[in-house]
Amino acid sequence: MLFRLLASSAVAVLLGTSAFAQERVLDVVSPFELKGPEPGVSGYIYLQMDVIETLVNSDLEGNLVPGLATEWTTSGDGLEWRFLLRDGVTFHDGTPLDAAAAAHALSVAQGKPGLLATAPITRIEGQGNEVVFHLAEPFEPLAAFLTEYRNMIYAPAAYAADGAITEVIGTGAYKITKIEAPLRMEVERFEGYWGEPAHIANATYQSVGRAETRALMAESGEAEYVVNLDPASVARLAELDGLDVYSVSIPRAMLIKANTAHPVLSDLDVRRALSLALDRDGLASAVLRYRAGADQILPPLLSDWHSEHVQPLRYDPDEAISLLAEAGWVPGDDGILVREGQRLSLTLTSYPDRPEMPLSAAVIQQMFAEIGVELTIDLTNSSEIPVRHHDGTLELALFARNFALTPSPLGTFLTDYAPNGDWGAMGWDNPEFVDLIRDLARGRGGQSERDRAIEILQTELPVLPVAWYQQTAVISHAITGAVLDPFERTIGLKYIRWAE
Amino acid sequence: MSAVEHSAIAQQRGNWASTSWLGFTLVGAIILFALVTPLAFPADPAKQSLRHVFAGPDLAAPFGYDHLGRSLMARLAHALRLSLSIAGAAVLSSSVVGIAIGVLAAWQGGWVDRFASLVADSFLALPGLLLVLMVSAIVPLQPLAFWVGLTLVLWIEYFRLTRAAVQRLINSPAVEASRLLGFGPIYVFRRHFWPALAPMMLTLAAFGMATAIMSIAALGFVSVGMRPPTPELGLMMVELLPYYREAPFALMTPVIATFFVLLGLNLVAGGARS
Amino acid sequence: MIKAIGYRAAQALIVAALIGVLTFLMMRALPGDIAFRIAAGRYGYDAVNAAAAEAVRQELNLDQSALAAFFQWFGDLLRLDFGRSVISGRPVVEEIRHQLGASLQLAGAALAISLFIGPPLGVLAGLRAGGWLDRSLLVVSTALRSVPQFMLGLLLIVIVSIQLRWLPPAGYGQVAHFILPATTLALGLAAVSARVARDAMAGVASSSYYAFGRWKGLDEGQVFRRHGLRNIGVPLVTFIGLQLVMLVEGVVVIESIFAWPGIGHALVHAIFGRDVPMVQATALMLGIGFVALNALVDLLTHWIDPRGAQR
Repeated sequence: MLFRLLASSAVAVLLGTSAFAQERVLDVVSPFELKGPEPGVSGYIYLQMDVIETLVNSDLEGNLVPGLATEWTTSGDGLEWRFLLRDGVTFHDGTPLDAAAAAHALSVAQGKPGLLATAPITRIEGQGNEVVFHLAEPFEPLAAFLTEYRNMIYAPAAYAADGAITEVIGTGAYKITKIEAPLRMEVERFEGYWGEPAHIANATYQSVGRAETRALMAESGEAEYVVNLDPASVARLAELDGLDVYSVSIPRAMLIKANTAHPVLSDLDVRRALSLALDRDGLASAVLRYRAGADQILPPLLSDWHSEHVQPLRYDPDEAISLLAEAGWVPGDDGILVREGQRLSLTLTSYPDRPEMPLSAAVIQQMFAEIGVELTIDLTNSSEIPVRHHDGTLELALFARNFALTPSPLGTFLTDYAPNGDWGAMGWDNPEFVDLIRDLARGRGGQSERDRAIEILQTELPVLPVAWYQQTAVISHAITGAVLDPFERTIGLKYIRWAE
Repeated sequence: MSAVEHSAIAQQRGNWASTSWLGFTLVGAIILFALVTPLAFPADPAKQSLRHVFAGPDLAAPFGYDHLGRSLMARLAHALRLSLSIAGAAVLSSSVVGIAIGVLAAWQGGWVDRFASLVADSFLALPGLLLVLMVSAIVPLQPLAFWVGLTLVLWIEYFRLTRAAVQRLINSPAVEASRLLGFGPIYVFRRHFWPALAPMMLTLAAFGMATAIMSIAALGFVSVGMRPPTPELGLMMVELLPYYREAPFALMTPVIATFFVLLGLNLVAGGARS
Repeated sequence: MIKAIGYRAAQALIVAALIGVLTFLMMRALPGDIAFRIAAGRYGYDAVNAAAAEAVRQELNLDQSALAAFFQWFGDLLRLDFGRSVISGRPVVEEIRHQLGASLQLAGAALAISLFIGPPLGVLAGLRAGGWLDRSLLVVSTALRSVPQFMLGLLLIVIVSIQLRWLPPAGYGQVAHFILPATTLALGLAAVSARVARDAMAGVASSSYYAFGRWKGLDEGQVFRRHGLRNIGVPLVTFIGLQLVMLVEGVVVIESIFAWPGIGHALVHAIFGRDVPMVQATALMLGIGFVALNALVDLLTHWIDPRGAQR
């Protein structure tokens, strides 16, 4: 009996090794699931796997570069944009890309929730080999908006009559051969690609939800490109041979949003005191394990929007205590501050979807306790933050916000801070800031206006910046040419080769 | 889940009462640890100290510190308290519910009996983790959700055993005599049914506890159970796992504790059969 | 037999009703606005805003009352219509088909492996009750039952994939991907089924007819085939039927660790994203599937030993 047992496991091992002997396939592992063909749902995966493309691309520094459109021009009054399409582009189903198809794809995208829906677009049409945007008012970030994954160009055959997308057909260097939603997708080199064909013939995308499992897959050499690792695994993997660990700063920030219409939080001194109570570097190195405390809202990566001229946010609990004392808050029996019989007790709403959130909330709770502010943590579904924003019951909220769905954070500032937004300011109304941002969107203003806008956020504190995120990837020495893009648009798949 | 374990073990025979003693000692020692250490070493299990990340043992934290500089001993003790009290509460409530419905079904017979059996069988068809998961989506407070969910899972076992035992006894001359003499159901239960049920209850309770503790840890591990920073066994393991090379001892702390609790309960249950 | 099938049918109906009630309560218990929650599940936690929620509300007709939704669900169910996933927008049946298949493959592989390990060892131990094999099996199976399955899985990954580099640690799509998750599940199952087989065999081996079989000159193999197999068959098959429910539970945890695209994974995600049609359908699949398997076990035990009385 034991022999049979041993024999069966020997067979199993043989089967296993023979499976390895197939043609080499590049394995990409990431936490995100293939939830559906819609770009709004899983589009960034199709973009990263070079399946579908956008009219405009951005490089690793965030500069706009040609994509499916080779060049673009604006009319003198800024109300008309023309994007000239690249010649000789075909979709994976063999149909050619023409202006009508691109205009249709973008019109549908504009009708769905997303950044493009917030742009002042009146009409999108195809003329000759140009896609033409008609605007109600000048809108400077339009080209940047088109780099976003929700504005990718799907083939006409991908759309149902109502605009819903039923299939993933694009123009990219790889085409999908098999989707096993939600965890796995196989792609194959698209021979009819307009550019240089991809070097590696076959690749898979695999969604692995657990960070530990992703790290183990990288460690075992099973996957060549693994993205989004937990800090602890990064430290461990960095010691190993045969792979490299990369980290880049990304335009995502951890923020505490404050309801500036709240009776206590409307006092700027209270918000400043809370900001002074935050040991940002301490929190970042303990929880995120890199020193990336946010001394202003955006990281240096976004050089246009990272101001050298503002006073950095500081950690100074003593000053926080004296600020609150001046505002009339005195310590009660249990050390919590009291004013006119009211305790300085606030509720922080956050969500457990990102593993660092509950821990960060706990750390912040302790930091606030040091200055006599009692914090109750409410961990719930992330959607409670916009819900409580709208019904006005939110006090504080801790979340991570991506500022660069497009290479320019202007779109995010428009939706979040001019004057308020679900994931930005609440009960805040600063006409100067709104004017600055709207003018910048219309193409008026430059670096000094951007600096001024950041300075307003820095002094008014509608949100308290906490930390700037980094993205990490483990790339095996078996491949060369892979990149880690701070804007999370590409992994360089079509340029990757097997190492010699 | 416990149905499976039980039916497997119910058939075990043999003379290993000494293992039962070992089981009691293990479980007792762990309960003692969970109760006493927070008194002897009063550290807040959520208190972080960034200077102490993975620091070795000292007087304030005899098991050393975790990745956020929290005392591992304090966290372990509180995690054990949490798991043991949820499991204990679930075992208590499920036994009360299960025995009550079991006696009722056997006593009344007829459609009451058939309906109760059908419902019990239907609950049995729902995997326990599914029930707990769904209840935790309904009940906002996690420990409460676990308690309700686990009770829904565990009562079936008590119901089935009680019903079978009472059915056997109810037509016995002794019970009939008591009933003819006009003794009420409570007397009959205490006098006749309970003595027959009691010996089995220890086994069921030990298996129920083991099932409950395993479920709480498993759900913590797949991140749908307790939420950080609550100390919980499964959650501690998942938090410390990435550091398995850097700090193996920290990871082993909850692993070994869980193993010994479950081992102890399994031994108690196994030994009690003989 | 017909009575037994009728009983199982009634059981299936109650299971469906139970799941209906639980998901109905789940809908009611959701704090806040379900449209926001669904939008969060669809577009990611920080891409949800009032506009996205409004689009979801209109698309899914969410203003309908929960009670109306409950009756609609039950009506649809009777027509075998599970509706659409609120997250992906695709029909639930299509969503589940692939995942159910993946789970069944995994469960089947686990069961097969456990049958190779558990019962044979149990029988050998039972034939020599009290022998060294019996004693060590007892220790090993008690220890295995005391290790949570996820720890076992991780241990296997670290040893087999990281240290030895024999097998991929996680993933799906090749035969090699089966071995670790299936073995993890199988070890847990085998630990218990070995005990059942051992006890059944020990009982049979100490019986007078077994001794008589030996006495009349049959060799060990012949006695086992004539007198042993059938008598340990019934408890073993009954037990395997019950084990399947344990498999389903293991599957939820194991799929998470090994990134296996199965029904347990689907269930956890559906509950996390409050995708009620998906929760209903996956829970129903699991529940009804278990009832069907029990019906199968009824038939099988009846076939092995026709003397056995119906429950």
